[in-house]
Amino acid sequence: MNKDKYSLFGHRPMIKTRRRKEGRLFTVPMVISLVILLTVIFACIFAPLISPYSPTEQNLPDSLALPSMRHLLGADKVGRDLLTRLFYGGRTTLLSAIGVVAFSVVVGVPLGLAAGYYGGIADVVIGRVCDLVLSFPSLLLAFVFVAGFGRSMANAVIALGIVYLPMLIRLVRSLTLIEKNKTYVEAAGSIGYSDARILFFHILPNCVSSIISQITLDLAYAILDLASLSFLGLGVQPPTADWGAMLDEGRNFLLQNPLLALAPGIAIILTVVALNLFSDGLHQYFEPLQRELPSFDKVEKRAGKKKEAVYG
Amino acid sequence: MFRYVLKRIVQMILIVLAASVLIFVMVRVTPSDPIASMTKGKRISQETREALVRQYHLDKSQPEQYLIWIKNAIRGDLGDSFEKKQPVTTLIADRLPTTLQIVLMSSILALLLSIPIGVLCAVHMNSAVDRILSSVTLILVASPVFLTGIVLSLIFAMKLRWFPSFGTGKTFVENLRYLFLPSLALAFSMVALIARITRSNMIEQLHSGYAQAAVAKGMPRRTVIWKHCFKNALIPVITVASIQIGTMVVGAVLVENVFALGGIGDVLISSIKSSDYPVVQGITLLLVVLFALINLIVDIVYAWIDPRIRLE
Repeated sequence: MNKDKYSLFGHRPMIKTRRRKEGRLFTVPMVISLVILLTVIFACIFAPLISPYSPTEQNLPDSLALPSMRHLLGADKVGRDLLTRLFYGGRTTLLSAIGVVAFSVVVGVPLGLAAGYYGGIADVVIGRVCDLVLSFPSLLLAFVFVAGFGRSMANAVIALGIVYLPMLIRLVRSLTLIEKNKTYVEAAGSIGYSDARILFFHILPNCVSSIISQITLDLAYAILDLASLSFLGLGVQPPTADWGAMLDEGRNFLLQNPLLALAPGIAIILTVVALNLFSDGLHQYFEPLQRELPSFDKVEKRAGKKKEAVYG
Repeated sequence: MFRYVLKRIVQMILIVLAASVLIFVMVRVTPSDPIASMTKGKRISQETREALVRQYHLDKSQPEQYLIWIKNAIRGDLGDSFEKKQPVTTLIADRLPTTLQIVLMSSILALLLSIPIGVLCAVHMNSAVDRILSSVTLILVASPVFLTGIVLSLIFAMKLRWFPSFGTGKTFVENLRYLFLPSLALAFSMVALIARITRSNMIEQLHSGYAQAAVAKGMPRRTVIWKHCFKNALIPVITVASIQIGTMVVGAVLVENVFALGGIGDVLISSIKSSDYPVVQGITLLLVVLFALINLIVDIVYAWIDPRIRLE
């Protein structure tokens, strides 16, 4: 962000506006994304109260019913209400996505802290393990993991947790590298605090903001990747449903009722977009320097381009 | 330069070997009876059973099996499929062209779409154009590949009938039409990321000292943007794009599934479901090697362009 400071054309006024905007967590996109996320979460938690139907009980007379007052979004092949399935599917999807992120945080944060703080052999070993995980293109490692350990949601969650580890370890490691040379760490060390105390109570709180905006983004990716695994039949097994598996079932009836495939799809898109916006908002809140730069048109104007055009 | 290339090649071989051990361990770790998956549960005589055990080296210990597998793999023999009784290499050779063509077509489509979008957004930063294009790409990245595929096939194949909705043609040219929708679906998921990287790098370049100097001395806008700034913004874009091409191979698995294309991904998923280990191991190893080769080539090209990298 040195660029800002040394930039040729008046960043001074920009700094003033920046100061005014600083500390604003609830910008418009943040509010929108929060509303979407809270709605989705509440619908999933209170699904049994909102919906009169069971997510698994078959009701053949209503097979492939079109949207009506009885079934707001229609019903699937065996007559289960689509909206109800959407709520219960959201439970599976969101809980598993949180599981993926929780796994990678619980394993990844200590490893990243250790790699950054101790350096040396610990750093090399952890770094090599990360390289190994990264040598598999994206979901491939998860495929192999599921192939070996069996198809189930729990395995899909662990597999994705492993896939997400390297990114988090590297982030925490690089943050720790910056923090460990600061005075407060030296002070804590000279008082005689243990390494564990310094790492978790002194260094970690200073890295938390970056970690949080990273894991909200990971949550979004986890939803997408879990949906992919379930879509391929490597995630949840019937009769449990998540949004990916519902999409897989629904695509066979595209011409009868496209909503069967589109509704879970839209649910995924909404949640992922909201999480993306939320992560962006947090990132901008924590690192306000990145917020405002003039556009290229303004740069040209300031560099005297428009004036010259008038003279020409 | 030569030393650098040599070092990278040795690194690549080591990581691929480590990955091959990981693949083998993960696939074979759970105790299951491969003979059962070969015969699909049919009763067989003791002699047949022993013959099969010998043929697939199942009487040897796990480490010995690994050595046999990896030695043969280096010679280009990935063993025989349990289920299809065919060499894995033939299985792969039959289906690889389709997958490669999808990856090739979608990377070209992705670059053609994302780079202009990224540059346009950077030049008109924070304007309406930027906001609209950024939101569109955000929605595209939040949509799972298979959903994009389903929606495209619903609109362009089922309703408008412009393209075939599934299957492949016989020749490369015929496939341009058959594989267009799958490739487009796959490309869409990559557009957002590449466009975003292009945008942020272009913004950085447009605000740099040399760009301002060029504008101030009256250089035409187009020359400043494309000849000066774009060239400098390109390197990080290539990094991301190359990683994305690796992940596209896995994305291809998903679109192959949606459009029933019978590429390599279809075989991988069906073999995971039927516990056909030689095929799973073979395809995974192949994909890891391809991914490593792409990374190697990109690294060498970098070092060739930018001397700072090879001197590090």
